[in-house]
Amino acid sequence: MQGFWAVILRDLKRIWAEPFRLISGLAQPLLYLFLLGSGIGAATQLGGGQYLQYIFPGVVALSLLFTANFAAISIVFDRETGFLKAVLVAPVSRPSVAVGKVCSGAIQALVQGVLLLIFAPMIGIYFGPLQLLLFIIFMILSGLVFSAMGVAVATNFSSTEVFPVVLNAVLLPMFFLSGALYPLRTAPGWLQKLSYADPVAYGVDLMRGSIMGEFYYPEWLSLVVLLFVGFLLIWTAVKVFEKGEEI
Amino acid sequence: MSTIIEVQNLRKKYDDVEALKGIGLSVEEGEIFALLGPNGAGKTTLFSILATLRKPTSGKAVVLGKDVLKYREEIRQQIGIVFQEPALDERLLARDNLMLMALFYGISRKEAKKRANEVLDLLDINDFADRASRKLSGGQKRKLELARAIIAEPKLLFLDEATLGLDVDARRNFWDEVKKLSEKGSTIFLTTHYMEEAEVADRIALIDEGNIIAVDTPRSLKEQVGGGLIRLDTEDNESVLHWLKQQDLEAENSNEGLFIVSNDPSGLLPTILSHIEQKVTRAEIRQPSLEDVFLKLTGRSLKNGENEEIESVKNEWVK
Repeated sequence: MQGFWAVILRDLKRIWAEPFRLISGLAQPLLYLFLLGSGIGAATQLGGGQYLQYIFPGVVALSLLFTANFAAISIVFDRETGFLKAVLVAPVSRPSVAVGKVCSGAIQALVQGVLLLIFAPMIGIYFGPLQLLLFIIFMILSGLVFSAMGVAVATNFSSTEVFPVVLNAVLLPMFFLSGALYPLRTAPGWLQKLSYADPVAYGVDLMRGSIMGEFYYPEWLSLVVLLFVGFLLIWTAVKVFEKGEEI
Repeated sequence: MSTIIEVQNLRKKYDDVEALKGIGLSVEEGEIFALLGPNGAGKTTLFSILATLRKPTSGKAVVLGKDVLKYREEIRQQIGIVFQEPALDERLLARDNLMLMALFYGISRKEAKKRANEVLDLLDINDFADRASRKLSGGQKRKLELARAIIAEPKLLFLDEATLGLDVDARRNFWDEVKKLSEKGSTIFLTTHYMEEAEVADRIALIDEGNIIAVDTPRSLKEQVGGGLIRLDTEDNESVLHWLKQQDLEAENSNEGLFIVSNDPSGLLPTILSHIEQKVTRAEIRQPSLEDVFLKLTGRSLKNGENEEIESVKNEWVK
């Protein structure tokens, strides 16, 4: 159990050593929100202001998705530098390391997401206490799933050059497919069907629903899918770590 | 005294290459035990199996009384390792690297802090304890890794080519610290391809192409080669040489002085000195080196193919 905390503690210390990363991590979502959002919003029937409110949960999901997944690059980096060996030969169980990494990625994503919440009032979103609580719970759930995805993928890579390329190739389609920037309801049928296979879509829908009060997928379905995918990915990550015993 | 490492008929195959071909050895408590051999001989493979990082193909390896296949966690709890390549978290402070490893070993935060201070004192590295690890010199990093390896007070310390890439001073300094630890009672298992480094060991196993070809104290190993050289400088080397030849001794005059080959140089030198009348400016016995031992046993030098082998070991790790 202590090994689990040590894994998280170390990652947080590293972030603390470079707080600039948190600030620069805000750039991408804010660009989507204010530049892309204002531009596209003006051309929609909703108009600029309302469109920004509409995509806000999607942009939070974007931030969670990228931060959580890229946090897992530390695993690849540790393998490259040899530090992972030192960890794996310490008496820490493989599941502790894997789950610790998942949680630490989720925490990093959550910090980034909460920083984005500060911008909500600027675009006219005012959370009630219950809304905020629900929104944060859904953020945590999505963050865990996205982070588990990163860890499950990262455990298969040993190059810090290849990993980001692969991540970008996977994450962007997931993001575009999720309905973060447009309503799935009015999307073409094939796109709607495809979105069922995208866990990000359920996260976006839960977060958006907690603000707008209206969900695209049934809430129970979103919760079940996210929990199922989350457990599956964590289980995969643990298995890969255990198999990687022989370095 | 108890046996700390016991290896019997250990084999390890990678695909179609047999890295260890049925090895046996034992290491006793409190010993410094060196595994000496050229790169690619199987040192890192044997070390990795003993340190629970790889699984043997067959045979038996017992570390601290426990089978390496069945009791990985228990063994890990009681060993410390310094790897061939640096394995620090470069972004953390030196001290935090120590703390972190202590936490991984299940030591409480308070106790970890205390332990960190103790090892910093012990290895005398307080001066860079609060610097970022990436800013340390190669020698400092190695010392920090040594400190990290002993933070959980391991019963057994593994050093795998631990001084690779260090300059001579840093290397000597590192081994001084290792000797200190040994005097405090730690058992140390080290691998190296530098024969000077193996000299710090109480016993050395010579390994070549996956086989252990000799295990003994450095002195006995060298005695196996037998004999040695006497180097002598006098005020008149020519007349001394003449006299030596008269005694049927195998001698030669060079610009570095007289060289006398003998089976028993330590016994012969006093005899020579008591017989010659010339003033002696220098008298030295040159023992055969471990290099000579290796050469005699394998017909090959320890040093050949150094660089390509380092690459192959690196590749092994990456895999």
